[in-house]
Amino acid sequence: MRIDPKSHVPIYLQIVEGIRSEIGSGLRRPGESLPSLRALAVELLVNPNTVQRAYEELERQGLIISRRGVGMFVATTDEEVTRGSEEEAVLDTFRKGIASARAARISTRGITQLFEVALGQTRRRAGGRT
Amino acid sequence: MSGQFPAGSAIELVGLTKRYGTSVVVDRLSLSVPRGSTFGLIGPNGAGKSTTIKMLMGLLAPTSGSARVLGFDVATRSRDVRRQVGYVPETHQIYRWMRVGEVVGFVKLLYDSWDDRLCEDLLDRFALDRNKRVKHLSKGAIAKLGLLLAIAHKPEVLVLDEPVSGMDPIIREEFLEGVLQAVADGRRTILFSSHNLDDVRRLADSVAILCEGRLVVHRDTDALLASTKRVTAVLKDGCLPRGAPEGVIWQRVARREWSLTITDFSGEVLGRLKDENPIETVTVEDLGLEDIFKDYIKGRRAVE
Repeated sequence: MRIDPKSHVPIYLQIVEGIRSEIGSGLRRPGESLPSLRALAVELLVNPNTVQRAYEELERQGLIISRRGVGMFVATTDEEVTRGSEEEAVLDTFRKGIASARAARISTRGITQLFEVALGQTRRRAGGRT
Repeated sequence: MSGQFPAGSAIELVGLTKRYGTSVVVDRLSLSVPRGSTFGLIGPNGAGKSTTIKMLMGLLAPTSGSARVLGFDVATRSRDVRRQVGYVPETHQIYRWMRVGEVVGFVKLLYDSWDDRLCEDLLDRFALDRNKRVKHLSKGAIAKLGLLLAIAHKPEVLVLDEPVSGMDPIIREEFLEGVLQAVADGRRTILFSSHNLDDVRRLADSVAILCEGRLVVHRDTDALLASTKRVTAVLKDGCLPRGAPEGVIWQRVARREWSLTITDFSGEVLGRLKDENPIETVTVEDLGLEDIFKDYIKGRRAVE
C-alpha cells in the first residue's frame, strides 16, 4: 500500500481503499490480524489518529472487526468481504461502460435504456438455460 | 486570562505578538491545538514560525499576548512548561565534544520523569553509539540524538522546529519513523513546523499557514483540502469578471481565462459565480496542499 501525500483524497480514505484492495486480492485473508495503529502509522509514515480513523471506517463497512484488547482482524464472514469486492468490480465495469457511452455522446437517458435492454437480454438467456 | 484555558487544548495562543523595534515578526496570533492532535505550522521563510515556537518554549518573551502550554503561561511558568514538553530545536545545541552517553547522562539530570529504559531502547533503535563523540556523529544521528533527548522524559507535548530540513530522504524517513514510534502509543500532542508539505499532509491533523507574522488560515487538514477548489472560467469575448464570490483566496485574469481558488466551495458558490459573471464555461478542480498553500500566500501578498 502506498500513500500519496499530494492527492486531495483524505489519507484515511487512501488507507481504507488500500486495505480493501489488499483483502480483495487475497493479500490479507479473513481471520488474519491487522497491524496495530502504531505499527501501521510507522510503516505508512502517517499520523496514528489517521490510521485509527481508517480502521473505524473499515469496521463500519464490515470489512474488519475489532476484538477488545487483542486488535483488529479481517472479517471472517467471507461472503460479506467478497461481496464487497465483487460489487466494486461490477461497479467498475459499469463505470467503464458509461464512460464509453459518454464518449459516443449517448445521453444519460439513452444509457439507462441501453442498460435495461442488456438486462432484459441476459434475463432471457438465463431463463432459457433453466 | 486564567481559567479561560480550554480543557481540551494542549496549546493556546491568544494575541501572541513579537515586535523588534518597528518590525512585527509575530502579529496577534491566536489559535489552539487540541490535546492528542498533531499540528503542522507552515509558512514561507520569515513568516514567524521559529519565533512563535521560541515564545512557546519560553525562550523569547512575547511583546504582548499570551501563550499557554498544558495550561501553564509560558511567560511565568516556563519551568513547568519545559518539564512537560519535549523540544527539538532547528539547530541542535548539543555539546559537540561530549560523548553520546555523557550528553544523555547530563540531560537526564534536568528531568524527574526521565525514563532510563525508554532511553536505552531509543539509543538501540536509533543505532546511537554511546561512546562516540557528538562531533563525530552524522547529521542524521545528531538529529536522532536530539529527538531522543526531547522524548526520553516522556513529555505530554512534543515541539519540533523544522525537524527534517536538510536531511536526505532516507534519514528523513528514519527520523519520522522515530517520532511516530515514540509518540504513537502515548496520545501525545505534537506541534511541528516544516517546509515539507508532504510531511505536513502525512502527519498533521490540522494545519496553520503563517505569512508575515499573521495567521492566514488554521483548519483540519482534510477539511481544508475538501473545501478548497480551483475554478477556471472562460469569460465571454471582451468581458471582465464583475464580482468574485466570497471565499476567494487567490485569483488571476489572463486573457479570457479567469482562475480562482475558493475556500468553503459549494454548488451554491459556483451557481452565484455563473449567474453574476459573463462566463462561457467553467471547470472545477481539486487541489493538493502545496497548491493551496501557494495560493494562500500569493493571495495574501497581492492584497498587501
